[in-house]
Amino acid sequence: MAAGSLAPVSSAPADQAAGQSTNQAAPPAAVVEGKVVEPRREIPLLRKTSVLVVGGGPAGTAAAFSAKRLGVDVTLVERYGYLGGLATGGLVLGIFPLYDRNNRQVIFGIGEELMKKLDVLKFAIIDRNKPPVYPTIDAEAFKFVLADMVLDSGINTYLDCWGVDAIVDGKGAVRGAVFESKSGRQAILADIVIDCSGDGDIYAAAGAAFEKVKTNIGLISRIGNIDVVDMAPSRGSEDPHAERKPSMGKPDEGRPSKGRVNDMNGHAGNSTPAPHVNWLNMKGPVGDALDIADLTAMELKHRRGTWTNVEKLRQRPGNEQAYLAETAPQLGVRLSRLLDGCKKLTVQEIRNGAKFKDVIGYSGAYANAPEFQIPYGSLIPAKVENVLAAGRCISAEFEVADITRLIPVCWVTGQAAGIAAALCIQDKCKPRNVSVAKLQNLLHQQGAYLG
Amino acid sequence: MIFLGRVPRRLIQLTCFVGALVLVWPLVPWVVAPRFFQQVSPLVALSSTIAARSIGVGAVLALVVAVVSSFKKRWFCLYLCPTGFLLENTSRIGLRKVPWWSKCPPVGRYVAILTIAGAVVGYPVLLWMDPLCIFSSPFALNKATNPMSALLVCLGLGVLLGATFVFGMLWCVRICPLSGLQDMLFAGRKALWARLTRSRSAGKFNVARRVFFAGAGGALLGFWARRAGAARYRKTDTLLRPPGAVPEDRFSGLCIRCNNCVHACPTKIIHPDSGQEAGLAGFAAPIIRFDRDYQYCLETCHACCQVCPTGALAPLTLGEKNKYVIGEALVDNNVCLTALGKKECDACELACPYDAVKITWDEGQYTAYPVVNDKCIGCGACEVVCPTTPIKAIRIWTQKPA
Repeated sequence: MAAGSLAPVSSAPADQAAGQSTNQAAPPAAVVEGKVVEPRREIPLLRKTSVLVVGGGPAGTAAAFSAKRLGVDVTLVERYGYLGGLATGGLVLGIFPLYDRNNRQVIFGIGEELMKKLDVLKFAIIDRNKPPVYPTIDAEAFKFVLADMVLDSGINTYLDCWGVDAIVDGKGAVRGAVFESKSGRQAILADIVIDCSGDGDIYAAAGAAFEKVKTNIGLISRIGNIDVVDMAPSRGSEDPHAERKPSMGKPDEGRPSKGRVNDMNGHAGNSTPAPHVNWLNMKGPVGDALDIADLTAMELKHRRGTWTNVEKLRQRPGNEQAYLAETAPQLGVRLSRLLDGCKKLTVQEIRNGAKFKDVIGYSGAYANAPEFQIPYGSLIPAKVENVLAAGRCISAEFEVADITRLIPVCWVTGQAAGIAAALCIQDKCKPRNVSVAKLQNLLHQQGAYLG
Repeated sequence: MIFLGRVPRRLIQLTCFVGALVLVWPLVPWVVAPRFFQQVSPLVALSSTIAARSIGVGAVLALVVAVVSSFKKRWFCLYLCPTGFLLENTSRIGLRKVPWWSKCPPVGRYVAILTIAGAVVGYPVLLWMDPLCIFSSPFALNKATNPMSALLVCLGLGVLLGATFVFGMLWCVRICPLSGLQDMLFAGRKALWARLTRSRSAGKFNVARRVFFAGAGGALLGFWARRAGAARYRKTDTLLRPPGAVPEDRFSGLCIRCNNCVHACPTKIIHPDSGQEAGLAGFAAPIIRFDRDYQYCLETCHACCQVCPTGALAPLTLGEKNKYVIGEALVDNNVCLTALGKKECDACELACPYDAVKITWDEGQYTAYPVVNDKCIGCGACEVVCPTTPIKAIRIWTQKPA
């Protein structure tokens, strides 16, 4: 069927509506018979758009850029005050997995474009094209690149604006999303919504089936004034090196062993483009990323633990002047919701190197999994219409999602979702009916690698 | 045997040689085939049965060979032995000097006695001199991943071919323990026959003194080698044996260096040891080294256990093999990328087929690192995926005996 009953409204930006609606005070919530209830009310319309991208992280920005390039009206909404999501605000500065088993890069497209923009900036990216060592970016440089690109692109962008609900029509198809911001609760109507929220907030609200998973939640930080000692690759590195060989001996009494661990005297992370600054990844304990009590407890404890670690680190010779430069503004939530899509990508498939007709890109090799194809079907909800998922919340088994959640793979799924959404507008079709040949052709044109 | 006399000997030899190739290559779709090749040898069957204190199916074949050999002198050498066939033809094209060794006494029978005496104390000292395992060893060449391994698997047959080319049939006539054993069987059968028929003329078996010394020597060597093995085992070095290996003090004796296991391993992680790790007594015996990308002891494979002819590697079923402890994975968290916060890495946890490695959060250190539980059998899946270089943060080490 054609694009529902909603006529494409892309050519008419509704900026005027935004200005008017914010002054009307909505009636407050009330206590009725001991329960807090919200009165029925009309939600002011912020915009009507063709493609609405919820979430401005790696997947969301890639989706917005790629859709905008095909000439459709795109609106990008981001919860925090900057773009880049976990790659900037989460301080996930390591860009991997980019390479296949033979150390050839398999992720290009928008991601490669962004890295090329970083290449020409000072202190913005290191270890480019040095497999198996993956590139490391600078968060501020990346924020700059994204802001620069969004300002020039003509994408309608709203920051500090949290997507809280889906707008669904009588047939259960998604028609937009509801947002909360300093302007209050507002709605954006759209022909296609791309859920790049990471947690799948929009498709979940629209009633799409999903799997809820719990995994480790950490908080990344940056440490300044790190000495050469801890910048050296000798302590745990993928970079082959000969200097200062670590002990060849068996980890034994007093050293880490089965169920035992020695005192590490602080851990200093890995070097970044900024001189004498390390980024320090944190695994963190397992937590529920959809539970505000868990999230709060984690943020508080992690900030305390990070400070204590730097105090320990300062006792190590050479690092007496090390200081905690920053803790990430965003918690490092790895996975929360996983979509039940048209295609659930399985561990078996990625181990066996399954080939998909609707391939939209590759993930690099990660641990014992070789590089693998990602099918378009894993971006489409099994039942709900007019919504696509991209980023970490796509349809995959937990072990696979543990790879597809990583930054470059989010670029891949984001770009494909953006092009697919634009095709839905152009061909007036549902996401599940998008012509795979056209999609792959456009991905090729935008520089993506499909094998 | 009379019925064989009608067929030309060379034809039978050639047939047996081809049969040996079929078994050892193996050209039959039968994983255990190479094992039955060495088990045809009565010396291997007898010594390993005594040393391992258990009898195998292949021993029946060896019994047949032994019985026939006791009636027809060196029947096995003349008709069946593929090594003999090779050496005989080599000597034909060789230097053909007048053999200086023709005056020397036959050493082979004392080698055999030494070995059997060693087997009694659990360490068949010179069993690796059996011609059948010398023959099969070079077939592991396609699994040799470095020049040293290639040299080691070809060493035995190469030396024999070279020596035969220069000196003629020295090995077969004087040194080979299998021919020595056949001589003893033949002489023993004749002596027994003479005793039964009360005729004293035939068969003399009065070399008791030499036999005693050879036997005592074998037992002493066996004890020494076992002590050395036990001492080695108590050290915390990195010597890892293939799954199913008997305890280290007996392993390098029971192992006849046939390299069947090296040949059978699909991931090429079993190497003949160049003697650096296990010393002289363990020279050329198989060790596991996880030095190849992504190659570990597969949870779907127990080929090495299936092909061992002597029981040095017990014939474990797949289920048993997947419980056999090759070693234990130990973590050095001062190298681990996750522990140091260098990278998002859980390669070892993902790779472990036995659910034995868990990246665990440590509230005290405020970091996470892999913790290995008792399900670990040391298959090496974690070590080969660990991205740190040159030293892996998680490595397989020999487990100290309890």
